[in-house]
Amino acid sequence: MIETPNLQWSALAPDLVLLGGAGLLLLVAVLLGGRTQRDVAVFIGLGCFIGSAATAIAIWDFGGGDWLVASEQLRVDRFGNGMRVIVAGAGVLTLLVAYGWDRMETRAAEFVALLLLAAVGMDLLAVANSFVSLFVALELFSITLYAMCAFDLTSRFSLESSLKYLVLGSVGSAVLLYGAAFLYGATGSFRFDEIAAALGDGAADDRLALAGTAMVLAGLAFKISAVPFHQWTPDVYDGAPTPVTGFMAAATKAVAFAVLLRVLLQALPAQADQWQPALATLAILSLIFGNVVALAQTNVKRMLAYSSIGHAGYLLTAVVAGSELGSSALLFYLAVYTAMTIGSFAAVAAREREIGGPVTLDTLRGWGFERPYLAGVMALSLLSLAGFPLTGGFLAKLVVWQAAVDADYTYLAVVGVVATAISLGYYLRIGFALFDRRDGAEPTPSVRRASGYPMVLAAGALSVVVILWLGLYPTDAIDWARDAARPFALGR
Amino acid sequence: MDSLSINATALIAVPLVGAVLLALLPVSRALAGYLATLVSLAVAGAVAGLVYRFDIGGGEQFATDEAWVADLGIRFHVGIDGLSLAMVAMTALVMACAVGYAAWEGGARTRAYYALLLLLESALLLLFTAQDLIMFYVGFEAMLIPLYFLIGVWGGARRTQATLKFIVYTFVGTLLMLVGMIALALDQEGPITFDIDALSGSTSEWIFATFLVAFAIKSPIWPFHGWLPDAYRQSPPEVAAVLSGLASKAGAYGLLRLVLPIFPEPVAEYRDILLVLAMIGLLYGSLLAFRQPDSRGVIAYSSIGQMGLITLGIFVLNDRGASGAAFQMVNHALLSASLFLLAGWVATQTGSDLFVRLGGLARGRPILATIVLVVGVATLAVPGSSTFASEFLILLGAFEYEVWAGVLASTAIVLAAMYMLRWISALLHDRVGGAVEAGEPPDLVPSGGLLTIVPLVLAVLALSFYPFGVTDRIDADTSRLAEPAAEAAAR
Repeated sequence: MIETPNLQWSALAPDLVLLGGAGLLLLVAVLLGGRTQRDVAVFIGLGCFIGSAATAIAIWDFGGGDWLVASEQLRVDRFGNGMRVIVAGAGVLTLLVAYGWDRMETRAAEFVALLLLAAVGMDLLAVANSFVSLFVALELFSITLYAMCAFDLTSRFSLESSLKYLVLGSVGSAVLLYGAAFLYGATGSFRFDEIAAALGDGAADDRLALAGTAMVLAGLAFKISAVPFHQWTPDVYDGAPTPVTGFMAAATKAVAFAVLLRVLLQALPAQADQWQPALATLAILSLIFGNVVALAQTNVKRMLAYSSIGHAGYLLTAVVAGSELGSSALLFYLAVYTAMTIGSFAAVAAREREIGGPVTLDTLRGWGFERPYLAGVMALSLLSLAGFPLTGGFLAKLVVWQAAVDADYTYLAVVGVVATAISLGYYLRIGFALFDRRDGAEPTPSVRRASGYPMVLAAGALSVVVILWLGLYPTDAIDWARDAARPFALGR
Repeated sequence: MDSLSINATALIAVPLVGAVLLALLPVSRALAGYLATLVSLAVAGAVAGLVYRFDIGGGEQFATDEAWVADLGIRFHVGIDGLSLAMVAMTALVMACAVGYAAWEGGARTRAYYALLLLLESALLLLFTAQDLIMFYVGFEAMLIPLYFLIGVWGGARRTQATLKFIVYTFVGTLLMLVGMIALALDQEGPITFDIDALSGSTSEWIFATFLVAFAIKSPIWPFHGWLPDAYRQSPPEVAAVLSGLASKAGAYGLLRLVLPIFPEPVAEYRDILLVLAMIGLLYGSLLAFRQPDSRGVIAYSSIGQMGLITLGIFVLNDRGASGAAFQMVNHALLSASLFLLAGWVATQTGSDLFVRLGGLARGRPILATIVLVVGVATLAVPGSSTFASEFLILLGAFEYEVWAGVLASTAIVLAAMYMLRWISALLHDRVGGAVEAGEPPDLVPSGGLLTIVPLVLAVLALSFYPFGVTDRIDADTSRLAEPAAEAAAR
């Protein structure tokens, strides 16, 4: 008889909810059509995401908050559950943004099913405890995202973006896999805790371990789009359908950072002397390069793509700190980042539908007077991205820099300040464009009524609530982040 | 204690709630203006109550102290001591007049505009009552959000460049200060805290530099004034009034409240350099004010000069200087706000702000002429005015330090007389300008806009008769704040 692993189903409940939903939606795709299908699909999708978040919170303390399950292949801890909540939140917002998209009128169920599957992959990635489960989860959501990027089959750009993502993403995955093989060679295990133990007592082959660490870092740097591994980001973000871009920018980046943190602090803490300077360099490059190049963009989606590269720099700062403070800062930053990213992409999506073309600074000009609420959401998201007080973005930067200064990486905080200064140049320009009463000149006319406007507005309102909640009353969220991040620290 | 009694938190919350309600409720523009005025008047009334209830010498009062981010040692700690009280009172008064003026002028101002003005008031009140570094920072930076929109959307023709320059300048300076604050808090012995009173002194020169630059940009101290002329010229009049009257005081207040007590040794060490910068600002601003072709230019550059005088009072590091500087902050807030509102009112009546097109406004306009004359003469610190009292204190402080400092500072009064008298005669006298002839006919009882300036003028007159109303309340605090640096300098 074949021995099967003993599965703790409750640990997987948040993912099973999503998986079940995806299966159900494939049936819906066959049984229903048109707008009914869309409404049902979105309803099921929302239900699944909310259910997933609720179960993740329900199992917060299971297994003592640090639970090795599925033959120790997964580590369901508070950090992983926190990431599951963030992914579910991104999913809810994405569904609301996607609702009025014209592709949703014909292929809604398939899209929502793909979205749920991608979320399953992300959830598993966030709790992976070995390079095997990591790779399977990574490919599950990557392949799903390739399909989602190409979802707009009539658009050349959508297909191009999917192909680019496929080719470059595969390179990243391959490098990561190769690095994992090296680490296996050095330590004899794929499991993070065993790798850490082997590296810690000096039994491992140093050269193999170094090569493995470097390649794993490079592979993950692709996923978080840190400079110089960022080249795919602008084209893919620009070409992909906007709801998908928002989801990628928020959720993909979040889980990629989660897994980076987990690998570095749970598998490679002994190599900290090697990866800390390397990541600090990547952080500085991302901060400066991402923000400087964003200044030159006029297409808002590309601008936000470069902005997301810049934000990878702030997030890397938190990882480099390698302390409990840094890890909790990362989690808090990711929660805020998800809300403000999707908040800004929501407005872009709505404007794109109105004008039937790319959103540039020119086509946004004066839009704030036409759609004050949505433009307000966008303005607040941008102010939060820039780190103005009263928004979550400010506190996120504050905690990240506090972690950096605390870990004696004050120079990363100073570079972060310079980068933030540069970023004002483009964040504020979008704001000027939105509320520009260009005297006399007519704003770009809306060729059609934006469909699904109330849903986009709901997504925007939800983002605003999160941004302001985390900005004005952060006590609870910071406590949770601290609680979740406790095991993530270099023993110093 | 009576649970309904007003404290610092309530003061901050009232305009904030007003802003949110105005932003969400569908009322007409005109009604929104009146409602905003009512809210700012309510704040002013509440402040009047606090002034009445304030216990002189009682230290920090009307306080709230709650954990905000307990993990990081950040507390929502606001309270009012004598110095805060003076700042809060001037904020409430200037804001009420500014909002009233905005409501009177109307025009393109929408509901959002008034909401942003109230948000600005809330941020200012938070800043002036903050007893925690991070709260101070939040107030200091949150000001920029409303200002970004107020200038960027409703400003003059070159508003975009003006706003960008202003926001980038101030935001960058302040972000560096944030890193400095974090480093400062982490340097402390014991559990992490940002509480201003609990912080012990620091000798770190780079942290001192981050604080100094942030406040030097905001005040501004020469040579950090590059953003100022554009921002003051492109703003709507009442926003310029708030910028020069209140926002600039945030910088000087920061120097007094944070820099002197936290960095006594670096301050003492660099005192002479700082004094020289203050004097260059004083001379440079005053001389350029004399050469400006328009009212706003005169007021903008004179603000640089006046802020130079205030920083001079702060950095002579003695009781008189500090007390005079704080008092001068109040006077300058009232006067520069009146000046900007006056300039705005004249521009709406005549369609011009240029001296070549103005002149002869006194003819047939006795009320306007009286107000212009009172404000102008008070600004140039005629003996008997409240400005004279405060400038005299600063001069005493300067002479107490070094004679050369006193002599140079005294030129301030002469220079102020030069540019203010030129301004008065360019507006009121001279030949009748083209814009005046073409504008509204003389009117014995002028429109409401001018009335919004009257409370400011009355406050200046009141303080002229009874300057102790302010100095009695601030003296204990200013000497307490200046003491560590003065001791360090004496060593």
